Amino acid sequence: MKRRQALKIVTLGALAEAASQSVAAHGLASGYAWTPGDHHLAFFSEDENRMIDELMEMIIPADDHSPGAHAAQVSLFADLMVSTSDVAEQQRWRRGLEAMQEEVSRSSTAQALAKAAANESHPETELERFFVVLKRMTVDGYYTSEIGIHQDLNYQGNAYLSEFPGCEHEAHH
Amino acid sequence: MHIYDVCVIGSGAAGGVMAKELCEGGAEVIMLEAGEEVPPARFLSHKWPYELPYRGLRDEKQAPFYPKDISAIRYQDTDSGIGVDRVRVLGGRTLHWNAVTLRYAPRDFRERTLAGIEEDWPLSYQELAPWYEHIEQTIGVCGQDDHLEILPAGKHYLPPLPWRCSEHVLARVGKSMGIPVIPVRKAVLTLPYDQRPPCHYCGHCMDGCDVSSIFTTPDCVLPKARATGRFTLRQNAVAREILTDSSGRAQAVSFIDRITRSEEQVRARVFAVCCATIESARLLLNSKSPQHPDGLGNSNGVVGHYLHGHIGGGVSVYLDELASTKPVNQDGATDHVYVPRYNQLSGKRDYAGGWGIQVNFESYMFPDQAQHLRGYGAPFKAEVRRLQPGYLFLGTFCKAVSARENYVAVDPHQTDAYGIPIPVIHYRFGENDRALWRDHNASLQQLASRLKGTVFSSLDNGPGGFASHEVGTVRMGKDPQTSALNGFCQAHEVKNLFVTDGSSFTTSSEKNPTLTIMALSARAADYIKQQRRLNAL
Repeated sequence: MKRRQALKIVTLGALAEAASQSVAAHGLASGYAWTPGDHHLAFFSEDENRMIDELMEMIIPADDHSPGAHAAQVSLFADLMVSTSDVAEQQRWRRGLEAMQEEVSRSSTAQALAKAAANESHPETELERFFVVLKRMTVDGYYTSEIGIHQDLNYQGNAYLSEFPGCEHEAHH
Repeated sequence: MHIYDVCVIGSGAAGGVMAKELCEGGAEVIMLEAGEEVPPARFLSHKWPYELPYRGLRDEKQAPFYPKDISAIRYQDTDSGIGVDRVRVLGGRTLHWNAVTLRYAPRDFRERTLAGIEEDWPLSYQELAPWYEHIEQTIGVCGQDDHLEILPAGKHYLPPLPWRCSEHVLARVGKSMGIPVIPVRKAVLTLPYDQRPPCHYCGHCMDGCDVSSIFTTPDCVLPKARATGRFTLRQNAVAREILTDSSGRAQAVSFIDRITRSEEQVRARVFAVCCATIESARLLLNSKSPQHPDGLGNSNGVVGHYLHGHIGGGVSVYLDELASTKPVNQDGATDHVYVPRYNQLSGKRDYAGGWGIQVNFESYMFPDQAQHLRGYGAPFKAEVRRLQPGYLFLGTFCKAVSARENYVAVDPHQTDAYGIPIPVIHYRFGENDRALWRDHNASLQQLASRLKGTVFSSLDNGPGGFASHEVGTVRMGKDPQTSALNGFCQAHEVKNLFVTDGSSFTTSSEKNPTLTIMALSARAADYIKQQRRLNAL
């Protein structure tokens, strides 16, 4: 094993331990942190969740670099967020879901998404407005997930450093 | 009933300094704080988003600092984009700040004389300078003397923070445009100081520092007050009004205990109001008596007026020369460099004031570009990833002009959970503000373009305010007819009443206010000590 790899594993192990100690110290119930595995749909129906999951995976798909929105279970995160939002937000989703379902049944999921996304900067129809809402939720859910943060962006921070390594590239100075 | 020497209301930057200085000077001090202590063990700073119930998207990390029962407010007749900070916790805004600590320049105290607008302060930079020095040494500030007229320096700084690649690029491009870029000065430790450890560069300054490397009053000055044996703290104590005796002198504070819901009083010889710009004005306006029918110390009707603060916007530049590079840990202590005001260096303007730029003070974890990039699918995802290492954020802080027609009032018909009339905000940008904004907008767009990269900007949305830097509602002044306080933050009409937070500012510059708040508070505390010795309060 390379030294860097070993260090990484040690660091992650230490972090995990620190995190569980921290949870205990805060007296938080184990269900405090949201985990998609035990989530029960509270706003979407099973059919709606399947459609949202499929659409979100098209917005942020798996590629050869990292898994996508499906693996990150972003649709379940969306269900949590919408089900705990105010009535106006829920109605916005309800209208959007209906418009999207209608479009999907008329053509295909891929074609419906393309049509919804066609006017992203100035959405005018219910379907177009829903794309903006759906994409925003996909971005929020994916890039706050373990997959989005660690596997896709390869984020290196949220650590304890003894010193901060500044830029040492002459070209930038 | 016991009578304390001094009652300090509010535990933030102003109140914390006031309590420490007075206790160390021999006074017996009681401090009232409407919020409660949130100790570091309760901070969620290092939690990953996926460990939080809503991924942190509903401000879960900062929610403990913003209890809803004591933050009711109404915005009435305000321009869009205006908001005031409602933090209510032991330590106040020092628990939720970036700790940028800049001295005002001599000219910042003299707008009337030099620019023909607003009023001069009733004190000069030279009078405040020793107190800036005192505070900088008390709290620990990293940075350096950059020999700039617009940004005077102290004598004692901890080593500056190392710069990121993006900050070197900014400095290089800035230099070619005559825009200075200097190491930021902030109350973050880069070496062990005053028995506190140096920063560990996690980037969570604004979520609560779990090891006290950033200055907060509960970690840094309240322990010093407590160590004197002359300090009493009452948290969860919501001040309703200051009561006066038959001569109109402040005599007691009436407050409600948030836990028991009972009304209590505390008596003192001197009162220091340190509740910040909205709450201090609210408290004085709610303190009506036969001697003070329009609120305490407010016979000229000034209290509540001249509300202002920073206006600004944000620009993200994803630098071409850094995009696609290997991701590294860039969190650091949030901002490491600062762009001091530069519009005075060239040309003549048709407005007064300028702006400074805070750099990279937002998290590196969430890719903001994903909110702005158009499209979807594999190209979208790859572009988000490609841009991420190139992130450079510029946040501008522009001077706003203090104007009488902008104010906070209280509404006797709308009360909070404790029956106290709530504050109501009235604010409109003025002509100078808009002219400055336009010039600043053009300059930022030019800078962003010269930096070369993918740019996303909030400037097109128009100015926003106040970046948690609201000031001015109980202002100092030379003329008792047009101000509430003298140059020692003492009420013109009530000799044993002092107001030492941002509300005391006569005018605002483009610089962050907290260092000046602390210097004013330390200077006022020294004056109180002198006056007590002379039996003049």
